[in-house]
Amino acid sequence: MNYCKKLFVWMFLIVIGTSLVSAEPFVQGGPIGSQTSDGYDALGPVVEQPIEFPHNTHAGRMQINCMYCHTYARRSNVSGIPRLDKCMGCHNLIEGVKDRPRIKKLFEYWANKQPIPWKKVHDLPDFVRFNHERHIQRFYFQEKRPVRETCGYCHGYIASMTTARRVKALSMGWCISCHEKDHLEKVGSTVTSHGPNDCWLCHK
Amino acid sequence: MSMGNMDRRDFLRVLGISGAAATLAGCGNTAIESGVEEVMSYVQPQDFVVPGIGVFYASTCTQCGSGCGIMGKVREGRVLKLEGNPESAISAGKICGLGQAAVQAHYNPDRLRTPMMRSEGGLIPVSWDKATQMLEQRLGPTSTLKGDQIAFLTGDISGHQRVLLENFLESYDSTHHVLYDAISRVTGQAASKAVLGAEQPLLNIDKARLILSFGNDFLGAGVSPVHMAAQYAKFRKAPRGTLIQIEPRMTLTGGNADRWYPIKPGTEGILALGIAHDLLQHEEFAKGVPDEVHALVKQYDQASVSEITGIGADAVHLIAGQLWNNSPSLVIAGPGAEGHAYGFSNVVAIQLLNVILANRGKTIEGQAEHPFPQLAPLQGGYRALAKLHEQMASGQCQALLIHGTNPVFTSPSNLPFADSMEKVPFKVAFVTHLDETAGNCDLVLPLLSAMEDFGTHVADYQPNGVELMVQQPLMEKLYPESRGFGDILLDILKKRKPDSYTAFPDYYSYIKTAVVKAKPVFKVTDSDDHFWEDALRKGVIKWEGKPTALEAKLSLLEVPKPRGLEADYPFYFVPSVRPDMRDGRHAYLPWLQESPETMTTIVWDSWVEIHPKTAAEMQIREGDVLVVQSATGSVRAVAYIFPGIQPDTVSMPLGQGHTQLGRFATGVGVNPYKILDPVFDAHTGELALHATRVTLRKTGENQNVVKDEGPTNFQNGHKLVATLDADQAKLSKEI
Amino acid sequence: MSLSNLIKNWSNFRTRRPYEGQYDDSPYKWAMVIDLDSCIGCNACTVACYAENNLPVVGKERFGKGHAMHWIRIERYWGEGETLETEFPERGAQYLPMLCQQCEAAPCEPVCPVGATHHSPDGLNTQVYNRCVGSRYCSANCPYKVRYFNWWNYPERAWPNPLELQLNPDVTVRSKGVMEKCTFCMQRLRAGMDKAKTDGRILADGEVVTACAQACPTSAITFGNLADKNSKVAKMWKTQQVDLAKNVQEKTEDGIRGYRILEDLNTYPSIVYLERLRNMAS
Repeated sequence: MNYCKKLFVWMFLIVIGTSLVSAEPFVQGGPIGSQTSDGYDALGPVVEQPIEFPHNTHAGRMQINCMYCHTYARRSNVSGIPRLDKCMGCHNLIEGVKDRPRIKKLFEYWANKQPIPWKKVHDLPDFVRFNHERHIQRFYFQEKRPVRETCGYCHGYIASMTTARRVKALSMGWCISCHEKDHLEKVGSTVTSHGPNDCWLCHK
Repeated sequence: MSMGNMDRRDFLRVLGISGAAATLAGCGNTAIESGVEEVMSYVQPQDFVVPGIGVFYASTCTQCGSGCGIMGKVREGRVLKLEGNPESAISAGKICGLGQAAVQAHYNPDRLRTPMMRSEGGLIPVSWDKATQMLEQRLGPTSTLKGDQIAFLTGDISGHQRVLLENFLESYDSTHHVLYDAISRVTGQAASKAVLGAEQPLLNIDKARLILSFGNDFLGAGVSPVHMAAQYAKFRKAPRGTLIQIEPRMTLTGGNADRWYPIKPGTEGILALGIAHDLLQHEEFAKGVPDEVHALVKQYDQASVSEITGIGADAVHLIAGQLWNNSPSLVIAGPGAEGHAYGFSNVVAIQLLNVILANRGKTIEGQAEHPFPQLAPLQGGYRALAKLHEQMASGQCQALLIHGTNPVFTSPSNLPFADSMEKVPFKVAFVTHLDETAGNCDLVLPLLSAMEDFGTHVADYQPNGVELMVQQPLMEKLYPESRGFGDILLDILKKRKPDSYTAFPDYYSYIKTAVVKAKPVFKVTDSDDHFWEDALRKGVIKWEGKPTALEAKLSLLEVPKPRGLEADYPFYFVPSVRPDMRDGRHAYLPWLQESPETMTTIVWDSWVEIHPKTAAEMQIREGDVLVVQSATGSVRAVAYIFPGIQPDTVSMPLGQGHTQLGRFATGVGVNPYKILDPVFDAHTGELALHATRVTLRKTGENQNVVKDEGPTNFQNGHKLVATLDADQAKLSKEI
Repeated sequence: MSLSNLIKNWSNFRTRRPYEGQYDDSPYKWAMVIDLDSCIGCNACTVACYAENNLPVVGKERFGKGHAMHWIRIERYWGEGETLETEFPERGAQYLPMLCQQCEAAPCEPVCPVGATHHSPDGLNTQVYNRCVGSRYCSANCPYKVRYFNWWNYPERAWPNPLELQLNPDVTVRSKGVMEKCTFCMQRLRAGMDKAKTDGRILADGEVVTACAQACPTSAITFGNLADKNSKVAKMWKTQQVDLAKNVQEKTEDGIRGYRILEDLNTYPSIVYLERLRNMAS
């Protein structure tokens, strides 16, 4: 391959890369620990969970709104893992799947009144504070963006995964890159604003 | 709060697990991680519980007898911080440092986690089965204990635990409930009762134009300091009241005084008589005062009072002048006046001033009458302990149960409580921490912390009607082996008197039943459940009552006879009570150990306060290690040069010098209780805490005094704390 | 000053002084008033701060070396001059609750070599722990001595299990080598401001207060939003005739108690103290 060809391929990749960035939130990251061309997409390790929760079934096939289960996200700093009785609320009534091993596990936890020891997948350093409530309020309720885009900007295309996997870098530069963009204040309005950039907004 | 008790506890238990896991892993994550930490879901929380947002539950502070309402912030199943409860008139939304530190008592690493039983070579951990077996064998239905053979020794106690405890004793045909508090208020209360007809009168600080306090640290270590502080803040607003404090060693309250006078310890009563002498020159005050009072007071002219008390003759006149210029005034006696052989007479003389000044019904009133006398707080003192000590030493006492007091640590050396304990065949301690007294027991039972238990409390001091304070768990118990005090007693009672007690599965149901039964007294028409839930939500049930009138009996007035100094012991010894350590039971709380004692700013230690003049005469520098020797013993501590002390007096703080109370208390400082002279009040027989005389000996050693203040105590001309003459301030225009 | 300003406009930042109307467009400017006539020196505020802000207990030996980590402390003085002129402190002691004064022209800010301390848009002097490299210049430059350095890795020893269960999850547990200081309970403010923003309003007066102000049994500490002219704290600053943007205060009459400590150093603090009063006739 001569130099020109190399350059062309390289440029092509960059173009693809950029187009993928603009197609956020549905882009997946590169290999584990890698920084892709935009510098921000990075694939986290596969995390083994006590129950291999199929997001693809719930959010994908069943089209359930993220916040139906992650209900704390619009009210609190943390989105929270859904409470166990939430799972049971539906699964008690879905007879057809009660014999499946994953569901059996769920019923076992419920019978023992034990919380499920999930592993954190999106875990920021302890000196960082991320407020789910403000982001959901701003982009989902105010700007009326689709819920998958709002959540997916940071969490990726969860509807295609079973258990969640980190696909974004979640680094400070990545946060800032979005905070510096102009976002519409409200649906239908032309007024834009960008995210706050004071240190103490995120550092505690 | 729609769910019942058991549901709430269950849900807290589940949360407890998740909370613990989340925090343990939560220290020190500095990178973006995946799959490292656990995040547990709630199983079935109540709808108002949102992860990441704290929920406040009302409860009651049990750190001292003030009974402040508190609110605990609970997040992810853990109690994180305490605040004052605005519903309660006692704390009115505020809280002191001692109260805040209750969370550290709960999470303390040295908490007792299992029952302990004596075997050869000391206490060893045992299972509850074994402990219960022993309890049943000694105290169960087959027990032959009767009357004074059994003794229950406690500190201040009120509410339903008091009722249950008395019922427990009754099942042995016993009323042998012995109350002991090392910082006893018995003498002062007896004198107030004698003169005014009320042991603890209501002090309307906010209504006073002038407060004359004889060594009462009402803002620090006094009765209900949080309430008093709020009253004091009102007292200082326009029209600003004046505070005059008279005491040998400057307390926190003394530091706030407009005028502070150092007095020779024990001469407070004489000064009061001197002031009375001055006041009775005025016809306005003289009328209505019996002749015998006039006769008695007559000998105390300014010159002789000044001679005895060490306070200038013009000062006596000045104080009297202030009193008649600023009406209504309020005169308060405190431990400084009470702690002498004639402490009772001192207090009577001081209360005489309130009568002469006609403060009754204005700034000093009787507390509202109690709708539930059986729940009212009980306090004790030295004399009860001494009597028990004799009974124990003579072998009369066969079983001793101890809760909420630590006499082995706090008794003076003339009362070797540990020795008499050896004569008792069965001793049980109910504690959260293994202290010196529990260390001498045969069975030590681990109690729930105040953050884990239910309870009801009635405060010593009720500013507004009477409040029944409700205590509820703020989180699930940390240690499965710990149990509630009420639950343990109830279990024994169920076996002794099954007919009366089997209806109550636990202490919670016992107090719930009892409180709900009292509903008619509170004039509430709600349903029982509603009434109880409301009580839990607010943390307080209020009973409206009016302040009562006080009497004025001056017949007991007599001349206090101060004891001077002796050649062998040329210093008065005044032990000081720290607002945070109290009698020493809180020394295991690291926040309090690290919290500088305000007057000296010293931390983590004991020290000897000496006036600069005396120190210069004796060539003592700060940090010199001194031996403080009394007739009964000696302690070693560093010297601290302190201007707020009478020059013939030395002072040491109480509360340190533990040999057993966990890692934060053990080996810190020395225990001055052990050098107190056996001097007793002539009327009440109480130990006189301020009547010891000591001598000082230099050891030649010098140590660094660990304190917060810098190299200077002075502002050096910088405007740090500016002071303005109160006359010039325009307080009424301020916001 | 925000992060991008900090990077783009460094030299301006170093010489910044407050000016009139600086916070007119800002929803918040946090400030305090401490009434020294009400303060009784009881230490409730200091313990409240330990509980709220995960302050480590350092122990006797380290306390003796000046390593104590109390973001608010009660200083106690005996006299205004260089000595006590009388034999006894007959006007009582002088208690001073000393915490970060959140200076508008903070001496600590420009000396930080890495921009770990900066001024926030709501007028606070901040400390970003993960940015701090531990040069301690800020502490050296602070005239109030209210910055505290982590000489040891306290998380390892200050909270023996299970004491760490009390730690506030909203506040970072600081590790060895970083500077820390009073934040005016930023975690409380932030939670409140976020909630208010969601509701489309600004925080009401008294809705969020610092831990010290909440605990104070005499309510000597008033905390609030100076940018809100109707807040109690703004009214108090006005009645006390203290102007945030002035370094010499002009009082129209005598007997007005408000002053700021070491104002002559041109630090423009955000805390006004009210003079302690004494009835000199007594």
